[in-house]
Amino acid sequence: MARTKSKRRTQIEQLLLAPLNWLEERSGLVGAVKYFLFRKVPHDTNWFHTLGSATLTAFIVQLVTGVILAMYYKPSPNEAYASIQMITNDLTLGWLVRGMHRWGASVFIILLFLHMGRVFLFGAYKYPRELNWLIGVLLLVLAMLEGFTGYLLPWDQTAYWATVVGINLNATAPFLGPFLADFLRGGQDIGTETLARFYSMHMLLIPGGLIALITLHLYLVIRLGVTSPPWSKDGAGVEREEVVVGRRGLVEPRPRGDGAGVEVRGRPEA
Amino acid sequence: MSNQKERAYFKRYKEDVQERGKPFYPYAMFHDTVMSLVVVCVIVALACVWYFTSGEEAGDAGILGPRYTEEADPGTTSFVPRPDWYFYFLFYLLRIFKWPDSVVLGTVGIPTIALVLLLALPFIDRRRERRLVRRPVAVVGALLVVASMGILTYRGATAEESLAGEAVEEVEAWQQEQGLSEEGVQGATLFAQSGCMSCHTYLGSGSSNLGAPDLSEVGADGRSPEEFAAYVANPAEFGNTVMPAYADLGEENLLLLGTFLSESTGGEGGGEGE
Repeated sequence: MARTKSKRRTQIEQLLLAPLNWLEERSGLVGAVKYFLFRKVPHDTNWFHTLGSATLTAFIVQLVTGVILAMYYKPSPNEAYASIQMITNDLTLGWLVRGMHRWGASVFIILLFLHMGRVFLFGAYKYPRELNWLIGVLLLVLAMLEGFTGYLLPWDQTAYWATVVGINLNATAPFLGPFLADFLRGGQDIGTETLARFYSMHMLLIPGGLIALITLHLYLVIRLGVTSPPWSKDGAGVEREEVVVGRRGLVEPRPRGDGAGVEVRGRPEA
Repeated sequence: MSNQKERAYFKRYKEDVQERGKPFYPYAMFHDTVMSLVVVCVIVALACVWYFTSGEEAGDAGILGPRYTEEADPGTTSFVPRPDWYFYFLFYLLRIFKWPDSVVLGTVGIPTIALVLLLALPFIDRRRERRLVRRPVAVVGALLVVASMGILTYRGATAEESLAGEAVEEVEAWQQEQGLSEEGVQGATLFAQSGCMSCHTYLGSGSSNLGAPDLSEVGADGRSPEEFAAYVANPAEFGNTVMPAYADLGEENLLLLGTFLSESTGGEGGGEGE
């Protein structure tokens, strides 16, 4: 079919590809996206490996709903509560946006823990992926801080008193504690200053850090690849002495069976 | 594990993936897309259940709690502080420690140690082994962490909080036990109504939160009502940064509360006091 391309068809194709070629020549981005999409992953990649991207999806939901909420929310003690009521009860689909943001936060945290559990059980934090584990732990901490700062914003009793206790707990830390509590409060009492800085941290500082670290996290995932499940008999990178056995005997590689066949793997790692 | 072996492993990994791997698109991406759709659907479903089972009134809770509680009011002190669910384990951890000596262990010590261990994990566990049957320490450790976090979260979620109404009924019993004066009884009523018992225990009732001490015999050291009033008005001045300031109660009420506390010299039902 390709050989019988009409001149007209070739022209149209070139027209369509021209912007992509223009972009590729000046940035290499097209090649990067192609590499991302068509890079090889271990053949035994499975549903467990989707927890990371699921966490990312939950984060994107938080970003989108958060941006919409920021258009209507008023971060001052006199107006915050009323604006939350307005968003929830009067604004078209406001309840959905706020509800998704509120519950998306919990889903995000749950997925973070599940993803971390998966990485732990798969031993995927081991060489050469130690750095990505560190970044992941920092992401977890930032996500918890995001939860803490966001909890105050509705400015209802639950929000207020939980923050009173939270800040007082910070103050018990030796040396830095009292300073940290004063900084969070923005003065002696929880009020205008507190709400303003919690809002600023919640929608600028911490999300900025999260986005930067997620970018690094993904870069390392793509660069280093994902690990095969630990139970995989022919997972990527697994030592394959048994294949040698198979070749010697001119038979198929001997399956390792129920895991009891480890004797063909040679000595266990000390 | 020598560096050489680690590098050999990773080289073999890359070769295996090149030879026998499958392209991310469409295989892995299909799984990722389905999972992401599930996540979004779950979030939307939670939002719907939350909204449609609750009402516009503050505190009108549905299956997933109210849309909001009453507007924040620094003046009310009867509100029981409660963090979001993923902080319950920390919240409950603090009940285990007693203020002021060891509460810092709960607020800073244990969380810091846990965080450092988590960060250091890849440098502690340097073996290349990834199969679970060969990693008994890691598996047992993980199970213990999950179990303890689960228990702390559950206990935090179901922790009983004293209700102001119930506590007020006990004032009479306190009067008999402690021999409170007229003013002391008024102070005791304030004590029961102002949410003090969300954190403090008194003659066996109330809940011990955030490491707050039992107050049954807090007056045994002979402090005057004025001293107690000043303390409650601004605990931070006395080095207590956990307890919120209650200056909003007003001088008169604070003095009544102080009288009650200084008359609390210990009943038979009292727990370990300060």
